[in-house]
Amino acid sequence: MSEENWIEVGSTDSIEEEDLIRFDHQDKTFCVYKLTDGFYATDGICTHEAVHLEDGLVMDDEIECPMHQGIFNIKSGEALSPPACEDLKTYPVKVDNDKIFIKID
Amino acid sequence: MKNNIIILGGGQAGIYAAREIRQNDSKSNIKILGEENLLPYERPPLSKDFLLDKKKAEDLYFHSSDVLKNENIEFENISINKVDFENKKLFAKNDNVYSYDSLLISTGSENKKLTLDNNLKNDIYYLRNLEEAKKIKEIVSNKNKITIIGGGFIGLEIASSLSQLQKKVIVIEIGNQLMGRIIPKQIADLVQNTHIEHGNEIILNKQIEKITKKNDDYEILLNDNSLIETDFIIAGIGSTPTVKLFENTNLKLDNGIVTNQFCETSIKDVYAAGDVSNFYHPFYERNMRLESYQHAQNHGICAGKNIAGVKTEYTSIPWMWSDQFNLNLQLTGICDEYDEIIERGNDINNGVIYFFLKNNKIRGACGVGIIGKVGRDIRITSKLTEKDTIVDKQILSDQNLKLNKLIQK
Ligand SMILES: Cc1cc2nc3c(=O)[nH]c(=O)nc-3n(C[C@H](O)[C@H](O)[C@H](O)COP(=O)(O)OP(=O)(O)OC[C@H]3O[C@@H](n4cnc5c(N)ncnc54)[C@H](O)[C@@H]3O)c2cc1C
Ligand code: FES
Repeated sequence: MSEENWIEVGSTDSIEEEDLIRFDHQDKTFCVYKLTDGFYATDGICTHEAVHLEDGLVMDDEIECPMHQGIFNIKSGEALSPPACEDLKTYPVKVDNDKIFIKID
Repeated sequence: MKNNIIILGGGQAGIYAAREIRQNDSKSNIKILGEENLLPYERPPLSKDFLLDKKKAEDLYFHSSDVLKNENIEFENISINKVDFENKKLFAKNDNVYSYDSLLISTGSENKKLTLDNNLKNDIYYLRNLEEAKKIKEIVSNKNKITIIGGGFIGLEIASSLSQLQKKVIVIEIGNQLMGRIIPKQIADLVQNTHIEHGNEIILNKQIEKITKKNDDYEILLNDNSLIETDFIIAGIGSTPTVKLFENTNLKLDNGIVTNQFCETSIKDVYAAGDVSNFYHPFYERNMRLESYQHAQNHGICAGKNIAGVKTEYTSIPWMWSDQFNLNLQLTGICDEYDEIIERGNDINNGVIYFFLKNNKIRGACGVGIIGKVGRDIRITSKLTEKDTIVDKQILSDQNLKLNKLIQK
């Protein structure tokens, strides 16, 4: 795992608690979340149809898709409720000097 | 105790009920009887991604046969044509007899058919199942000018898909707006504009007088004497619960099978769920019948729990969606019992929502917007409804104020 795969997303105060921001890097979109116990990152597009999860609702550890209410666990990416059935990819996150980084493979 | 549990109707409510029963009861026999020779599958893509070739038939199944096998749920492809509730038996055309201890009826709904006085019955297409979707997809590939009779959700979704397949589409609707009176006129108009912008022709307030076949094409005469020439006709004029089988029994019917909040019908050990049931909703204190994905799933699960002996009230706040072009429309709660309407937003790019309030509490809402723009607010609305929250109308009406502020209070 090389250092350069850690990509800076923004400052820790750019996300409200129980909320998310969208982060675009090259041609990919990610969602970065602030939950009560820290920061997490997933792919930014629902696995059901191509809709951005940035407009979804974060509740506890879950993100709910705004289009058909498919639900994913933010920490594991597991698809919890249909019509979403394919898991969401998750990414490691670290915080350094009040800055959030995600590791993209 | 080991029971014979039969689920009549292998659709969405049926499969969710079956799996929920198994979660709570490892012993009973669970058998789904379904007249479609297919494992339970999702219908929403039939009018959308399946027609557009973005999804294949095999993408639509809820679960593979392995899942059913692992959970010891049997699926039999058979059509039931007689029931004997007194002796707890179901009869199939081929003389098979099925005995049950508990029965779930989840026969869904069926499309209303146009009453035509000539023998054009086989010329008009309807969409309810995969077989019909396949047929429509195959035929439209050689057609150019397609008429949809009925401007409801399914008709409009087909119109949207066919337009995306570069077809000329005409929609004829008898009412003075699309999608029925339950949808606020302003929202129906926004959806209508989108169809028109994409080249679809929308004709409102017109009735079909006569359809005539001209070689391989058709002429549709409307009640204002205008004539529409078309080479393919699909009708989506609403649906009725599939209850013919029970009409001469003592099962209580009234716009579907009447059930209480536990999915119980008027006959002991007989339950109903999904599109076919007219169920009592304890929150709204009235009966309702819904045709929606979320309802079929949750109602099936609730029926499953009750059949397995876990007494559970059905309290889900209704929710459904429709996708047309780049729009996503969502409905939550009920929108026909209110003393006040509040509008949030007026630009389809940011989402437009109409809230229906009674005594300062939300009873339902309807929203439409470019994909992704109304879902979060509609979801929060369902929560506010469920919690019977007295809402701050200023926040509801101002799109710059986040709705989740209301939930945290
Ligand atoms: C084209 C289309 C698009 C839709 N789009 C949306 C959408 O975008 N959003 C949304 O929320 N909802 C949508 N819906 C609605 C949703 O799919 C239904 O509400 C849901 O499928 C209902 O589930 P159900 O189990 O009650 O009935 P169904 O899924 O209809 O299953 C009933 C099954 O019972 C079988 N059956 C009936 N009688 C017998 C018998 N005598 N013997 C054996 N089997 C029998 C039927 O053949 C059928 O397979 C759509 C529906 C259609 C048709
Ligand atoms: S697009 Fe996310 S659940 Fe359908």
